[in-house]
Amino acid sequence: MRRSKVQIGNVNYDYGNVFQGWGHVMRNLREYRFFIQQLLRIYLLAPFKKSLIGAMWLFIFPLLTVIIWIFLHGAGIVDPGETGVPYPVFVLLGTTIWSLFINIYKSSSQIIVDSGSLLVMNKFPYETLIVGRLLENIITFSIPLVINIVVLLFFGIKFTWLSLLFPLTLIPILLFGLTIGLFVALLRVVAVDLCNVVDEGMKVLMYLTPIVYAPKIKIGWLTHIIDYNPLTYLVGLPRDILAQGEIYEPTKYLICTAVVFIACPLMIRFYLYTKPRVLERLINN
Amino acid sequence: MQASAPETLLTIRDLHKKFCKDIRYNLMHGTRDMVEQAFGLESDYMTLRKKEFWSLSGIDLDVKEGDILAVIGANGSGKTTLMRLISGIYPIQKGDMNFSPQTRVTPIFALRSGMHPLFTGRENINIKGAMYGMTKEQIDEKMDFIVEFSDLGDFLDMPLGNYSSGMKARLAYTVAIATDPNIFIIDEALAVGDSMFKAKCFDHLQEFVKQPKRAVIFVSNHIHKVLRLANRVAILDKGVKIFESSDIPESVDYYMNNCLGRLDQKSREHMLERVKFYEL
Repeated sequence: MRRSKVQIGNVNYDYGNVFQGWGHVMRNLREYRFFIQQLLRIYLLAPFKKSLIGAMWLFIFPLLTVIIWIFLHGAGIVDPGETGVPYPVFVLLGTTIWSLFINIYKSSSQIIVDSGSLLVMNKFPYETLIVGRLLENIITFSIPLVINIVVLLFFGIKFTWLSLLFPLTLIPILLFGLTIGLFVALLRVVAVDLCNVVDEGMKVLMYLTPIVYAPKIKIGWLTHIIDYNPLTYLVGLPRDILAQGEIYEPTKYLICTAVVFIACPLMIRFYLYTKPRVLERLINN
Repeated sequence: MQASAPETLLTIRDLHKKFCKDIRYNLMHGTRDMVEQAFGLESDYMTLRKKEFWSLSGIDLDVKEGDILAVIGANGSGKTTLMRLISGIYPIQKGDMNFSPQTRVTPIFALRSGMHPLFTGRENINIKGAMYGMTKEQIDEKMDFIVEFSDLGDFLDMPLGNYSSGMKARLAYTVAIATDPNIFIIDEALAVGDSMFKAKCFDHLQEFVKQPKRAVIFVSNHIHKVLRLANRVAILDKGVKIFESSDIPESVDYYMNNCLGRLDQKSREHMLERVKFYEL
């Protein structure tokens, strides 16, 4: 019988049992909350430590994105279809919500490879890295969101009481990105070919999701893909709630949300359970 | 009155660990393991698949309070794997590892690991301390000790990237010891650093293990350091513990003879002379 309970920091580990239940996960997060704060400091501040304008880049990047799309639209290069709101508003909100999804996907899918040497030389609860990345993405998302609200007001968008639901409607897309990201994080160590396919797929997925064009667009096979793409609803509903005060396809959105709410905890559990064994296969540079 | 026997802090029995020496097979076996885990299946760990080898095989080891246990062995003998298993970084799939209740383990594997070059020494104390599971209050409580022991003075407010290896060693060692562990693991981490600081660390380790429920395990191939510091030696060779003794000179002789065992008599004498010249 294996009895390998040991205390590291303030946390008791059982070396034989790699997933010890959600209660244990929550306890670890509470005990390591100062570490999560430190991770957040590193994630948010380190990329800009060597920059003169520092965290201002967090504002500049989303502004540039908006300007590029407005330019493309003004030049007649893209035909977005019937968007219901001014195109800059439509594309700004769409790309911002998409960026929440793709950024959480990128950061969580790199979580093992990026922290490889850290993980094979230090013992701390893996869940701290997940929470650190989630918080980082929520904070970095809140900055373009402020720009969005300014642009929306500028274009005369009137907010309704439904707009208050906007932050809550983003939770499913955030968890969807995390779920896929954690799965790819494991693949990135043991099945690199497969994770390359998913990475490339993500680039294509942006064009198969109504972000810079309206979901009602009718282009043959693309119409079917848009219908079956869960991101159509996970992006569309929050965008319409904020920009138009309308609920876009509530039933399909709720179905997608239910699936994400079941899949995400299962994926986190699988990730925490599998990661120690995947980690020992990690070849560090 | 008779002194009580030292408490056993860690008991390891029949510990095994295998790895794969080929990258492609490593990925293939890893994918298979992941799929099996997803369906709750477990293959027989004791069967080596293609290109796999035992990094550790049937290790038995006890760590008692007061021990300064040196784990020595040629490169690739399994020392670091053993330390990572004790630290809980790698999961145990075959074998038993029993710690006495509430045993706190603090390992140092690499000096820079977990520290960030763009943040100051003081900020890195928080980062590394937090990584060891210390709270803000616990770190603040130990700050005076860290500042005094590391003896880094004003350098603590400089970015870590500007530190020399020795300065990083000072900071890493001091933060690790500030966690007040029961078992302190040092894996080659004190190979750098100036002589003054090394002497200070060695003195500190000698005093550290005099406290109740304290032990040190250090991995080193520096024979001189082993002779001076250890009170017990375990020798690993190709993943197997081949020797263990509290007689340090005898252990060192055994280790050197084992390392040189593959050479003929003449080469062996020559190499032994050179090793003693450089190491002792």
